[in-house]
Amino acid sequence: MTNSTTTNQGLYPSNQSTQSSTEFSFSTAGYKHITKPGLTENTIREISDLKNEPKWMLNIRLRAFQQYQFLHTPSWGADLSGIDFANIRYFLRASDEKPSWDDVPPEVKETFDRLGIPEAERDVLAGVKAQYDSEVVYGSLKSVWEKDGVIFLSMDEGLKKYPDLVKEYFGKVIASNDNKYAALNTAVWSGGSFVYIPKGVDVKMPLQTYFRINAELSGQFERTLIIVDEGAKVHYVEGCTAPNFSSTSLHSAVVEILVKKGATCQYTTVQNWYKNIYNLVTKRAYVEEEAKMIWTDFNMGSKVTMKYPGYILAGKGAVGETLSMALAGEGQHQDTGSKAIHLAPYTSSNIVSKSISKGGGRASYRGLVRIAPEAYGCKSSVICDALILDPESRTDTYPTNIIDNNDVEMQHEATVSKVGDDQLFYLMSRGINEEKAKKMIVNGFIADLVKKLPMEYAIEMNRLIDHEMEGSVG
Amino acid sequence: MKKSILKLQTIIIDKDTNYIIKKPGNYAFEIVTEGINLDIFSALQAKGDKTVELNVLVHHQVPNTTAQTTLKAVGYDQSTLVMKAKILIDPGCHQTESFLTERALLVSKDAHALAVPDLEILTDDVKCSHAASVTKIPEEQIFYLTSRGISRKRAEEMIVNGFLKMK
Repeated sequence: MTNSTTTNQGLYPSNQSTQSSTEFSFSTAGYKHITKPGLTENTIREISDLKNEPKWMLNIRLRAFQQYQFLHTPSWGADLSGIDFANIRYFLRASDEKPSWDDVPPEVKETFDRLGIPEAERDVLAGVKAQYDSEVVYGSLKSVWEKDGVIFLSMDEGLKKYPDLVKEYFGKVIASNDNKYAALNTAVWSGGSFVYIPKGVDVKMPLQTYFRINAELSGQFERTLIIVDEGAKVHYVEGCTAPNFSSTSLHSAVVEILVKKGATCQYTTVQNWYKNIYNLVTKRAYVEEEAKMIWTDFNMGSKVTMKYPGYILAGKGAVGETLSMALAGEGQHQDTGSKAIHLAPYTSSNIVSKSISKGGGRASYRGLVRIAPEAYGCKSSVICDALILDPESRTDTYPTNIIDNNDVEMQHEATVSKVGDDQLFYLMSRGINEEKAKKMIVNGFIADLVKKLPMEYAIEMNRLIDHEMEGSVG
Repeated sequence: MKKSILKLQTIIIDKDTNYIIKKPGNYAFEIVTEGINLDIFSALQAKGDKTVELNVLVHHQVPNTTAQTTLKAVGYDQSTLVMKAKILIDPGCHQTESFLTERALLVSKDAHALAVPDLEILTDDVKCSHAASVTKIPEEQIFYLTSRGISRKRAEEMIVNGFLKMK
């Protein structure tokens, strides 16, 4: 926990903090545009105007803003009372000025060093403005995708270049009134990815959006739309792998995915936000006939995360899979899970969740399996395992299973355990010290999930966990 | 979902207990004595368009206790089964072992089931698990019995009886 104990600084001068952290914050003087704190209709008009958006998008935003004002904060889940909505600045446009690597605080550097983030990617981090295009690191791949007709743009660019596609699908999977934070996102969204994979194209390498949070793209309210056309295949990796050291207090994203007939989409998130961020994310996929959606969701950072990636299995034989891992440390509440909604016959869902709580952290699994009356022949399996490392920590499991026909196989299992003294004894009697033994056991606990990650992320994940586990003995 | 109008029954468990829940309702079991074991078993059936709702809370308030909770229910016709159970382990309650099983068998295709097995664990050094399943009568079991000259109706009855009795 060496990297997370004291600081509140921004690597990038976005500083949407509710309290001013003058000690570490970078000046926002160079910013081209910052809206006033708080959210009014004028703020939304301002954002839309700055982006030169079409009228219909402004109307969507304004309607969502009305819905946002009417919707209630969920009565369940994590404590969100710490968010001061009136003091958040909802849109910041950064200057071209980039913080240099030298400006990065030493413990941030140390984290990157220990994570083994390559020098090239550090450059991207420093050059935040250029990062989204991924030109520095992934530029060579871009032409290959382009030839096949793959579209990989920011949502803002996507709206400019492909307004018809965006108009057709925007808000179709997650309506703006789905929940309070989806409405908020729809009202003030900025940034995010727009991905279109044409029919039959298999994008063999993952599309990566590594370190893509910056003020220009405003990662705080990113909006992602992924359309995977018939028979196509894509793996999208959301690389919040390195912490966002800005002192933002709220990150509320909406991710909509359409997986058309026979297509496959895998969406991987490695979320390691800084530990003062409220992370309230709505993610959902609409899965058509014989198509497959895989969510791989790793949550380690943030103060509070509420995220339940889900899929609507709308076509015959559609498959949904979720692999979810949460690590809740001191002061953290990871309220994560997955939702499987079976609307069509012969659909199947498989959810595996593993959580670790330590140092007084709280990890919760909250999930839903719903099988509609006409969805016969469905299978659903939900497995949740929780590991508690000390007496102050807490773990919960809140699964809801609603089954409306009898031709189904639904099963749910959950276990809670701690690192066994017998396991520790076994390793320590072989000359391994306690800390290392604990790390081994914890890494073993999540090993089968980490295996599903792309190689470099898997290694990084193990390192991150080692890093988080450090000093947890005693 | 209609709000439950059933009264809450609080049952204080201060010695080893085998408790059989015979009626739907809201049951809170509070385990208050160290070193004891609680066994809860329930087998309910719902017919017609009835809703059978069972809410169970197993609350471990002291260290070193064990509990096994097995809830079974069979849904016929257009009935609805609601099984909500929660294991709650208070801070400092070490050496707790608590297991929860919810099994729903839907005989009719119009029957519904809602299974919510919750865990809230506020300490470490516990062993705790839950499992829930919703299934229909396996066709191969019916086939086995009908191929031995038993009518389909009788075969279903036999399988349901076996399901409810088995612990």
